[in-house]
Amino acid sequence: MPDSTTDFLKGTLDLMVLKTLSWAPAHGYGIARWIEQCTDDVLQVEEGSLYPALHKLEERGLIVAEWGITEHNRRAKFYRLTAAGKKQLAMSRDYWSRFAGAVFKVLETAPASR
Amino acid sequence: MFDPQQTPAPNAHRAATWRRYLRFWGPRAEADVDDELAFHVDMRARDYMERGMSEGEARRAATRRLGDLAQARAECIAITSRRERRMTRAQLVDAFVHDVKFAWRTLGRQKGWTAVAVITLALGIGANTAVFSVVNTLLLHPLPYPNADRIAFVYLEPTRGNTTGMSVMVMPGMQVVRAWKENARSFEAFEAYMNEDRSLRTTDGAPASVNVASVLPSFSEFTGTKPTVGRVFTSRDISDGGHVALLSEPLWRGRYGSDPAIIGKPITLDDQVYTVIGVMPVGYRLPQLEENVSDVWLPLDLRNDSIAVRLVGRLRPNVTMAAAKRELDTIYARATEKPKALETSQFGVKLAAPSELVSFRQSLLLLSVAVALVLLIACGNVAHLLLAKTAGRQRELAIRAAMGASRIRIVRQLLTESLLLAVAGCVGGLLVGWLGLEALVAMRPDSLAELAEARMDGTTLLVTAALAALTGIIVGFLGTLQTGRFSANDALKAGAISASQSRHQRRLRSMLVVSEMAVSTVLLVGATLLIRSIIHLQTIDPGFDASRLYAIQLPLRKQYPNTEGRQAFLADVTGRMRHVGGVEALTVSTAVPGWRSFLIGALQIEGDPLPPTGTTSFIDYSRIEPDYFRFMGIRLIEGSTITDTSKAAGQLVVNAGFAKKYWPQGSALGHRLRVVYNGQGDWLTIVGVVGDALTSGLMGDASRPMMYLAATDSYEPAVLFRVAPNVDPIPSLRALIAQADPRLPSPTVTNVESVMQRSIARPRFTMTLLVTFTVLALVLAAVGLYGVMAYAVAQQTREIGIRIALGATRSTIASSVLRRGVLMATAGAVVGVVGARWASKLLESMLYGVGRTDPLSFAIGVAVLLTTALAACLIPVRRAVAVDPLISIRAD
Repeated sequence: MPDSTTDFLKGTLDLMVLKTLSWAPAHGYGIARWIEQCTDDVLQVEEGSLYPALHKLEERGLIVAEWGITEHNRRAKFYRLTAAGKKQLAMSRDYWSRFAGAVFKVLETAPASR
Repeated sequence: MFDPQQTPAPNAHRAATWRRYLRFWGPRAEADVDDELAFHVDMRARDYMERGMSEGEARRAATRRLGDLAQARAECIAITSRRERRMTRAQLVDAFVHDVKFAWRTLGRQKGWTAVAVITLALGIGANTAVFSVVNTLLLHPLPYPNADRIAFVYLEPTRGNTTGMSVMVMPGMQVVRAWKENARSFEAFEAYMNEDRSLRTTDGAPASVNVASVLPSFSEFTGTKPTVGRVFTSRDISDGGHVALLSEPLWRGRYGSDPAIIGKPITLDDQVYTVIGVMPVGYRLPQLEENVSDVWLPLDLRNDSIAVRLVGRLRPNVTMAAAKRELDTIYARATEKPKALETSQFGVKLAAPSELVSFRQSLLLLSVAVALVLLIACGNVAHLLLAKTAGRQRELAIRAAMGASRIRIVRQLLTESLLLAVAGCVGGLLVGWLGLEALVAMRPDSLAELAEARMDGTTLLVTAALAALTGIIVGFLGTLQTGRFSANDALKAGAISASQSRHQRRLRSMLVVSEMAVSTVLLVGATLLIRSIIHLQTIDPGFDASRLYAIQLPLRKQYPNTEGRQAFLADVTGRMRHVGGVEALTVSTAVPGWRSFLIGALQIEGDPLPPTGTTSFIDYSRIEPDYFRFMGIRLIEGSTITDTSKAAGQLVVNAGFAKKYWPQGSALGHRLRVVYNGQGDWLTIVGVVGDALTSGLMGDASRPMMYLAATDSYEPAVLFRVAPNVDPIPSLRALIAQADPRLPSPTVTNVESVMQRSIARPRFTMTLLVTFTVLALVLAAVGLYGVMAYAVAQQTREIGIRIALGATRSTIASSVLRRGVLMATAGAVVGVVGARWASKLLESMLYGVGRTDPLSFAIGVAVLLTTALAACLIPVRRAVAVDPLISIRAD
């Protein structure tokens, strides 16, 4: 995986975590796997930064954590989106779409004259 | 495959809670993060294994993939711990806010109860605030200078022979002062100063008497004061002859209309002209503890050997008084070695912190103790109120306990209530304290003018708040003592309070009341001792007639340096004064009644060996004219008054106390004695014995040996005169003296009658305050006793009803109720008497004519207590007697 992708991922990790949790509560591994599967393993979540990101989001009150039991009967920490998290997600998502659109335009547009 | 959309299992919450409890005392954040990361590695490894890796391989791959585990872990732990700390804090605040709100509602529901408790606390705290304000100003901050805690007065005191009962300050000779000033390293500043009254003459007006202070150039730095206008002294001013002066702002304002052009103008003090160089603000004052206002400031020249100065210094940081004293001792010994100095080995160097010299100190300590006792009683009362209320709330508390509130939680709730009460009491106390301080300052006697400076400041506020907090905790603690005893089961039962419960409670409450009674007894006895002492002072026969007696002191030192001149002037002035309307009689003396003057030396009776050198004593004396005793109304017991005023005759009259002390049997007449100082002294013959007289003030001891000598020549003779009723000859006498010699500074006029009264003004003031606090304490204690009795009667209404129904007479009921009240009061009185015997030591130095164990005072104190206690029981007894058996038995 080239470095640029990882860096790129860091900035958007929060957004993707919030989006993942908007479907349902999940544990850290679940979130990582979901992102990988969604992007057909293009985006490999760097696990060293996933957990600090989760704890920071929890501190900011965007998500809350609870200990629960998985279907394999394992104890795991489940994260859930809060109302504030939902609001933050909507905002970031809006911003991100516009940003991505703009970047896309730059990449697609050929110079008018040469 | 793994499905991230799964929901937590239904038992998720329970497991988490259980786990949290397990980890209550441990590092929760670390364990949680470790668990979470371990889970992740497990899951990833499981994934890899499903794809065909071996278990070890999968685990290594998973761990590798997680990257720098330690860093992620540390980061997570830091974030989580931070969040948890914040949450704990928020939880505590939340619980506190809840407690306060709940307490507020509870207190608000019982407005009467709350008012009584708050007023009681406010009175107790307020009394302390008022007294502390005075202590703070007079004892803790006696001098308004920077770094006042390092300031020490320096003087000499007699090392032995001081039989005066007062501390005697001796001013060292100037060569010692200079040696100290130049060599003492313990001090960062060493100041000498003096002040005297002089006559200020301006071009227009009549001469005015002004207080002139002389200080060193460094004094303004020492006091941290800058001139309002102009400049302060420099060492050049002194080398140039010192003819410069600073004016005080009030003088500048009053006499010169605040004209800045005064700088450079001349003023005339007595006969000397000084140039004004500056004006000093009001705060510029000498380091004297009494109220002092100087009008004019002059530079002090330490090279002048003919002056006597007082000394004050500021110690260097971390230098102790003891170390500084050692240094001054050494320099003193060296300086007095060679030149034949006046002071010899009989004087020792003394350093004193300003607060040690505050004359009202003893009284303030006494009053501080008194108000502390008042506060204790107030605490007792409020604790008792809380106990009664808690008992009434037994069921509420029991229900809350049954619903799972822990004991800690309930105690905390009750403590919050008492702290809330304390906060209200603190606010009320500040108000009461402020009013009390105003009253105290308004009531102050003239001789305690410095009391006017007492005010409430930040320290007072802090101390009051601390006191209130302490009160809240004490009261709350006493009030919750019994919550440990209740069982929810008992309390919920229909009969309300169980028997054992009420017995515990009753014992606790009785103990509170007995303590209050004991404390009140201590105060009552103390107050009675002081009252009896003051009565004694006021009814005492002073041994002379002070009515309409005045003294004018003529300051002749400067203008009449030789005896002949003084005698001539005195004869001229007194001759003319006799003819002023309103002057009935007149004599001359060297001492003004109301003040003491001493001869220093060793007394040698003829026939006794010469006292060893170094023996010193202070002997009260006065030099008088032959008609002095007739004029003063002092009885002649035997012999005659002085008939020959010549020095050669050496005639001496002593008082009865003197005669009795040295010649207990037989007459003192004809005996010869002398006062030896430095091996010398003229022989004197006793020609008469007169009655004891309190000429040194009402608080003196009339039988203290006193000598009357002939020859009234003095630098400042006192003309004593009696004026006709309703005539004020003072203005014409002043005019007469000013006319006789316009150069004389304005003389000091003393109203002896009021000075005599004033000499007991301080003890009377102390007494008034102590009596006030005692009455307050007594009322509070009575309220406490009343509360306990009324509560007991209310509790026993049914029992009383049954007893009446069974044939008990009303008087039996009354006496059984009364017995309990009297028993508590008596127990308190007994403890109090023991306490008072011990506490009266504090009072001892303030008592006159009564011993500190005076049985009558103790009896009166106890009697007042018991009477008050009986009165407090009256209403509960009447209520008990009025119980209607039918109604009371049917109730509940």
